[in-house]
Amino acid sequence: MNGLLPILIATLVAGTPLVYAALGELVTERSGVLNLGVEGMMLVGAIAAFAVAYHTGSVPLAVLAGAAAGIGMALLFGLLAISFKANQVAAGLALAIFGGGLSSYLGKSYVGMALVIPQSQLSAAAADIPVLGALLGPLHPLVWLSWLVFAAIAWFLYRSRAGLVLRAVGESPSAAHAIGYPVIRIRYAATAFGGAMAGIAGAYVSVIYTALWTEGLVAGRGWIAVALVVFATWRPERCILGAYLFGGVTTAQLFAQGAGVAVPSELMSALPYLATVLVLVLISRDETLIRLNLPASLGKPFDAEG
Amino acid sequence: MQSTFTRRRFLGTAAAGSLAAATGFRPAFAQDEVLKVGVIHMGAISDTGWEYFQAEAWRKLKANYGDKVEVTVLENIAQIQDCERLFRQLATTGHKLIFGTTFSQYASLKKLAPSLGKAHFECCAGIEAGPNLGVFEAKHFEGTYLTGIAAGRMTKSNVLGWVGAFPVPQVVYSLNAFLLGARSVNPEATLKVVWANAWVDPGKEKDAVAALVAQGADVISGSPNTPVQGLAAEEKGVWSIGSTGDFSAYVKKAQLCSFELDWSAAHIEAAEGVINGTWAPTSRWRGLGPGGFVKMTTASPELPESVAAEMAAAEAAIIAGTLHPFAGPVKDQSGTVRFAAGATPGDDELKGMNWLVEGVQGTLPSAG
Repeated sequence: MNGLLPILIATLVAGTPLVYAALGELVTERSGVLNLGVEGMMLVGAIAAFAVAYHTGSVPLAVLAGAAAGIGMALLFGLLAISFKANQVAAGLALAIFGGGLSSYLGKSYVGMALVIPQSQLSAAAADIPVLGALLGPLHPLVWLSWLVFAAIAWFLYRSRAGLVLRAVGESPSAAHAIGYPVIRIRYAATAFGGAMAGIAGAYVSVIYTALWTEGLVAGRGWIAVALVVFATWRPERCILGAYLFGGVTTAQLFAQGAGVAVPSELMSALPYLATVLVLVLISRDETLIRLNLPASLGKPFDAEG
Repeated sequence: MQSTFTRRRFLGTAAAGSLAAATGFRPAFAQDEVLKVGVIHMGAISDTGWEYFQAEAWRKLKANYGDKVEVTVLENIAQIQDCERLFRQLATTGHKLIFGTTFSQYASLKKLAPSLGKAHFECCAGIEAGPNLGVFEAKHFEGTYLTGIAAGRMTKSNVLGWVGAFPVPQVVYSLNAFLLGARSVNPEATLKVVWANAWVDPGKEKDAVAALVAQGADVISGSPNTPVQGLAAEEKGVWSIGSTGDFSAYVKKAQLCSFELDWSAAHIEAAEGVINGTWAPTSRWRGLGPGGFVKMTTASPELPESVAAEMAAAEAAIIAGTLHPFAGPVKDQSGTVRFAAGATPGDDELKGMNWLVEGVQGTLPSAG
């Protein structure tokens, strides 16, 4: 147990940004909007949060700033892809590239700087809980929050009326429109939610996970989040599984390298991708179910007059 | 600050150039002329890391020559195609001395330098000098050998940790010398190596430190571009050592010692050569000492004076040439003797190093 606990903790730490980003993207895609710009939203969220944390020293404020920056980026995407009906793939790619450049520009004076974030009091308190304390104590409350967010999203999508409406908009926006739901507004809301989650993911990376800023800090995690949503066939429980699987294999391969396991490190570095794709494809290989879960109008712009 | 291109300056230089060509006057460098130097950074200049040391070099060049040099700096030119275009542009706008800052620019410069004869080129971390192209690189291993001594003395578990970016020779000989330095004072020391397989992924580097610490490592080093490794070590309550970067401004408690790269001698010598008309393409590979490219930085007060003295003695011996970090006998992981007792390896053997010394736990893709 003692040997496994550090691996488990490292897994949860490494998987958390993916959990936030992928769950956010999942909600966005469930409304029929494909936003490929998660990486860009994460980066802008990361630098916004870093700057706020650097100047105020407040983690909650930093996370809010990250979420707000993510929403700003998502709304920009919404303007292009939802209002102006631009091609969603192209607009998403543009957003990712724009976010990369914007975050570098905004972060110019922060490059190489580091934050000193004291251990959160909540974590310190949790460390005293018997048994679970050893696991919860080293984790930032933002990690715990991601579990609540997961539960809330799962409940929202499958147990709430609003979630049903959201899914309906993703399946058939014209039908939803015909019975009086504001399709455009719902899609905007889902996109903004995805942006907020990506922003929080970015904030987690820059403020909690690494506690420093450098260009390209997110290092491709946004793209992995997008891929996770697809391989998880748009189901939140598979999304979170995939995120932790990816985090877990990444961590495990670092431990294996340290232990001197004689496998080339390049192959080890490729393992998380391989393992995650393989497992998610295997558990969701039922084609009918994929079609059932895939939002039927994903990536298609909606035009009330059309 | 940095000068910028203006059309007038461009036309002025072009006119002067054609006048010189028309009168058959070969523009040997006049003493009152201002030397225009161009530098292209592929990354952003920040407070730490590779590009920072490149920038420090031309800053010192400017400080050294004052008004007599003018430095045009282009930063964050990530695409090599853009670099090539800008190298040409610099060469055709009167820049007599042009610096490439990374290995990635070497191939382009090798191709361009012979045809852009009005300028002279220098490439940091290039492989070998070519027509009109000089190269310079640091003997990182002289720095890591010294920091290894500190690691060997300070470890309690006798397990050291190294987080590598990619297994390129510079990193391989650095970590080998790190362990050799440690073993020179503590034969029991071993080194665990984890490759991040990324130049910039601070998250993964932090996880790698966590993995190493969980497996017993209590002194962490590596070749980071950010303070993340040191911060992670501080969080875990173990020592950290800066390789090619002093992160003591961020890593308040954990950093024992570090070394930095100082390319200013390369810049100043090249400028002097161009001004005096004696510049010739050379290959410089230097470590510690005056005019060298490796500089030890102030050690932490936590480092006992006896250890600091040991490091200073080894530094003096390396500079004097009486100590070579890779002096034989050196065995590799499989126990095969690579450098026999009494032998000192040649530069080529070091520059192409693709094996790990005995006592390193970890793998290299090309090993065996």
